[in-house]
Amino acid sequence: MASFVPTSQDTVEDQRLYTQARLVEVECLDCLARVGVKKNSEHQTSVQWTAEAQAQCPDLVRRKAAADGARLVHARCPRLAASIEAAVADGRIQIGAEDGY
Amino acid sequence: MADPTTQTRTLDHGSQPERFARGWHCLGLASQFKDGKPHAVEAFGGKLVVWENSKGELGVLDGYCRHMGGDLTQGTVKGDEIGCPFHDWRWGADGRCKQIPYARRVPLRARTKAYETVIRNDSLLIWHDPEGSKADYDILPPELPDIGNREVYTDWIWNTVPIKGSHCRELIDNVVDMAHFYYVHFAFPTDFRNVFEDHMATQYMASKGRPDVAGGYGDADMFLKSEATYYGPAYMINWLEVDYKGFVTEVILINCHIPTGPDSFLLQYGITVKKPEGLDDKTANFIGKKYADMFGDGFLQDVHIWQNKVPVQNPLLCEEDGPVYQLRRWYEQFYVDVADIEPEMRARFEFEVDTTKANEYWHEEVAENLRRIEAEKAENPESSDAGVS
Ligand code: FES
Ligand SMILES: [Fe+2]
Repeated sequence: MASFVPTSQDTVEDQRLYTQARLVEVECLDCLARVGVKKNSEHQTSVQWTAEAQAQCPDLVRRKAAADGARLVHARCPRLAASIEAAVADGRIQIGAEDGY
Repeated sequence: MADPTTQTRTLDHGSQPERFARGWHCLGLASQFKDGKPHAVEAFGGKLVVWENSKGELGVLDGYCRHMGGDLTQGTVKGDEIGCPFHDWRWGADGRCKQIPYARRVPLRARTKAYETVIRNDSLLIWHDPEGSKADYDILPPELPDIGNREVYTDWIWNTVPIKGSHCRELIDNVVDMAHFYYVHFAFPTDFRNVFEDHMATQYMASKGRPDVAGGYGDADMFLKSEATYYGPAYMINWLEVDYKGFVTEVILINCHIPTGPDSFLLQYGITVKKPEGLDDKTANFIGKKYADMFGDGFLQDVHIWQNKVPVQNPLLCEEDGPVYQLRRWYEQFYVDVADIEPEMRARFEFEVDTTKANEYWHEEVAENLRRIEAEKAENPESSDAGVS
């Protein structure tokens, strides 16, 4: 059962554009977790994880266990961050937005 | 498909959900219910009755008696039960009718809707689920250390604001709304990050107040570092570090709400301040009051916007905006059956907003406003508080 139902097909397309379009798969050079990454600018980054990738990242798993549900782990995994930088450096991730998404 | 860049864009208002979110909902400070009287709380399209039993525990039931529909909130607490004002059926906190004083026996089917309760951070929380599941105690908001200790924290300042004409998702959208902090709350957000995962959604923000406007967070000497997490659909803990003229205070802000109807909710917020070393209670409470006013102002600024805007399912975003669509995808998990929760609603998502361009522009605009204020002051020196409207 859906909620907040859009009334237009274009809205469904917008949902796809903003949540999935231009996400580039990046594999962590250390733990091999695969995430979706998008960079609209030098400073802006979106990282979309999956449950499998989360379970694979030792850094995330360790910090999550330490936080014990009290605070959300907010710092990005440094090894993944380095892997994203590498992907930017060798041109696999294009920096820049396309009409806002 | 036609080229969207040459077409007029329309707003999709969508249709609002017919149900209320699953999860823990806060009814307010527990102490207010502990006076031996039944209390009425509007919630989930109806009314609840809340009362305290002889052991000091709070019971929460649907407000209307299953006999002939009497209003239990106008009843009387009798021992551990709530007695209905109409024919005195006595209801226990487990939802069973314990006694009908004028009857030989109580019908076996005399059961009403009872809510599971928990006291957390001095507040009464209840579990609501349209599917009728058992409460999930693993996803309760965390207990804040020392929060009930008056040596360490000031008393709560707790306020409620009824909101009519807006769905509570408008309030949730704030989590990702970087730019409104400048326009609505009068602060420059300098750092802005979001992380969503499982039942939690967090906003990390650093901001400083605008010098050209008063009200809200507008104050050049005010620096905020804020971490705000929704634990489920309706209860947020906001850890704040407020730096005012170099004087740093730790503030806890609870921001919670109860949906009351399809487009109304009761917003509640509570503030407590960690008493700074070497400060007497009076001063600490004064600081608490000051920040409660400030954040209260902030909410009213939001409320004004909500009450005049329309719902939008298809917001159009620019590069500087936060992840509205991902936040709403996260929020959706509380409105679908558990069996229909999609993995991506709960998968971790990280988003860093680039605030560079925005702050460049805003600082220019504020500098211009300050120049104008100065010029106006010079022209008519007697009206001292020329402001920007
Ligand atoms: S309606 Fe409540 S006792 Fe009759
Ligand atoms: Fe706001």
